[in-house]
Amino acid sequence: MNRLTLALAAGLGLATPALAQDAPKCELDRPVMFGSLNWDSAQFHGAVAKYILENGYGCETDSIPGDTIPLINGVARGDADLVMEIWTANPAQAWVDAEAAGQTIALGTTFPDASEGWFVPTAMVSGPDAVAPELKSVTDLVKYKDLFADPEEPGKGRFYNCPAGWQCEIVNSKKLQAYGLADAFTNFRPGTGEALDAAAETGSLRSKPTLFYYWGPTWLLGQYDFTRLEEPAFNKAKWEAMMAADQPTEATAYPDSKVVIGANKAFTEAAPKLAEFLRAYSSTSAATSAMLAYMRENKASADDAAVQFLKTSDDWTGWVPADVAERVKAALGT
Amino acid sequence: MFPDIGTPIAEAVDTFVDWLVVTHGAFFEAVAGVFLAVLVPIEQVLRAAPPPVVLAAVALIAFAASRRLLFAAAMAFLGWLIGCLGLWEPAMQTVALLSVAVGIAVLVGIPVGALAARSRIARAAINPLLDLMQTIPSFVYLIPAAMLFGLGKVPAILATVVYATPPLIRLTDLGIREVNRAAVEASRAFGATRRQVLTGVELPLALPTIMQGINQTLMMALSMVVIASMIGARGVGETVLIGLQRNEPGTGLVGGLVIVLLAVIFDRTTQAIGLRLQAHRQARS
Repeated sequence: MNRLTLALAAGLGLATPALAQDAPKCELDRPVMFGSLNWDSAQFHGAVAKYILENGYGCETDSIPGDTIPLINGVARGDADLVMEIWTANPAQAWVDAEAAGQTIALGTTFPDASEGWFVPTAMVSGPDAVAPELKSVTDLVKYKDLFADPEEPGKGRFYNCPAGWQCEIVNSKKLQAYGLADAFTNFRPGTGEALDAAAETGSLRSKPTLFYYWGPTWLLGQYDFTRLEEPAFNKAKWEAMMAADQPTEATAYPDSKVVIGANKAFTEAAPKLAEFLRAYSSTSAATSAMLAYMRENKASADDAAVQFLKTSDDWTGWVPADVAERVKAALGT
Repeated sequence: MFPDIGTPIAEAVDTFVDWLVVTHGAFFEAVAGVFLAVLVPIEQVLRAAPPPVVLAAVALIAFAASRRLLFAAAMAFLGWLIGCLGLWEPAMQTVALLSVAVGIAVLVGIPVGALAARSRIARAAINPLLDLMQTIPSFVYLIPAAMLFGLGKVPAILATVVYATPPLIRLTDLGIREVNRAAVEASRAFGATRRQVLTGVELPLALPTIMQGINQTLMMALSMVVIASMIGARGVGETVLIGLQRNEPGTGLVGGLVIVLLAVIFDRTTQAIGLRLQAHRQARS
C-alpha cells in the first residue's frame, strides 16, 4: 500500500512538470505543415505564425515550398495544413473548388486591405515643399501634366504603367482613357517590374514628381512615403463595363482585396486551439509593408523580420490567450 | 580561407548609387537631356516621314554603298516587309535609338582603338575593360542607370554603347596594327607628322577592318534592343518582350523577324561599303 502510494506520488511528481505552463503540449503529434508561398509577404506571415506556434503552443513546424496552385491542392489533400495568403477578391479556382467541397476553410485575415492604385511621392502633395498640394485625385492630373513631364515626348506627362503583359497594364490603359488622360500623358510601360521599382524609388529619393501604378503590401510602400490618388469608389458594374469597352468613359478604383489564411479542414478539427489562434490572426497591409521594407533594408530573412515584428508590435497579443502570449514573450526575451 | 570582400563591395555600391541618385540626380538628368535632344528629333523625323520616303532613302543608301541596282531594290523590299509585318513605327523608333547608340560607339570606339594600336600600355589597360563590358550582364548596370538617367531611351543607349563598342575598338586596333609598315615608313620619310600618319595613312588603310568593326557594332546593338525594352525603351524590342510576357510566341516571332530584317539591311549595307573600300584598296595597290 505504501509502496503503491509512493509509486503514485512519484508518478504524479514526474508528471507535474509536464502539465506546467512553461512546457505546453501541442495538439498535434506531428509538425504543423505550412505551405510556403514563395513571395515575401507570405514568407513573413508564415514566419510569425510559426514562431507563435513553436514557442507559444509547443508545436513543431515544417514547410513545403511551392507555387499557389500546387500548395492549395496540397492543403485540400492535407499534405499541408495551411497557407498564409488566399487572395479572396480573385481567388484561384483550386481554392474555390476545395472550399466548396469542404476540404478547406478560411481562417484569420493576413491583411484585409491589399490594394492597387496610382501613387505619387507624398512630399509633392503635402508638407512644406509640396509642389502640388491640390493634387488629390486622378481627375486633377490633367492640370499637373507638366510636373510629370516625359522627356521623350515633349508636351506630355508620363504615367508609369505596369510592364507590358501584366493584367494591370490593360486595366491602367483603360483607366487613362476613361479619366481623360490619354492625350496628356504617355502610357509608359517600364518593361519589367524592377524598372518600375527603380522609377518609383528614384521619384521618392529625389522628391521628383513621379506618377506610377503600384500595389501593396510591398517593401516599396513600406520603405518610402507615397500617396495614393483618389479614384471613384469601386463599383462592380462600372468596372465590368470599363473592362468590356475599347474606349471606356467611366472607371473606378481597383477593388481592395482581403487576404486570408487558408487551412485544411481536418487540421482545424484536430487542433481547435491552433485553429482559434489562426482564426484570430489579423494583420494589416501597412504592418506587412513595413516589415517587408525592414527585410530589404537590413537584408533580413523572414524569420528575422518575424522576431522583429513580435518584439516591436503588440498587435499579435490579441490573437492568442494570455498564457500563450507570455510564453512567446519569454522566448523573445522581452 | 576566403576573406569576405563581396559584402563590403555590395554595401559600398548600394550606398554609392543611393548617394548619386539623391545628390547628383539633377546632373544626370541634364546629361540625359543632352542625349534626348539628339535622339528625339531623329526619332520624330523618322516616325513622321512617310514610309515611301524612308524606303527610298534606304534604297539610295544601299545603292551608294554597293552601286548595284538589284541590291538597292532588295534592301528597300526588306524594309517594305517590316511595314507588312505591322511594326513600321516601332522599327523607326529602334532605328533612331540604334543610330544614336552606334554614332556614339563610333565617336568613342575609333579614337580609343587608335590609341590602343599606338601604345602597348594603353592596350593592356583597355583590353580587360573591354572584356568586362562585353561579359557583365547588362541588368547589373541597367537598373542603376535607369535610376540615374530616368527610365526609357537614355539608359538603353548607354547599355547598347557599353555592349556594342568593344568590337569596334578591337577591330580598329587590329586594323591599324596590320597596316603595311612600309607605307607608314614611307610617309614618315616624306616628313609626315604622327597625326598625318594616322589620319592620312593608317586610318584610310585600316578602313575596311574598321568598317567590319562598325558592322559588328551594329549587329551587337541590334541584339540589345530586347534588353533595352526591359527598361522602357520603345521599339521592336517591346513587341518581343510583350510576346514573351504574355506567352504569345507568335507576337514574339513577328518582333524577332523584324529585328532580323533590320539586321540584314544594316549588315548587307555596311558590308557593301566595306567591300567597295577593299576593292578600292586592291585596285590602288
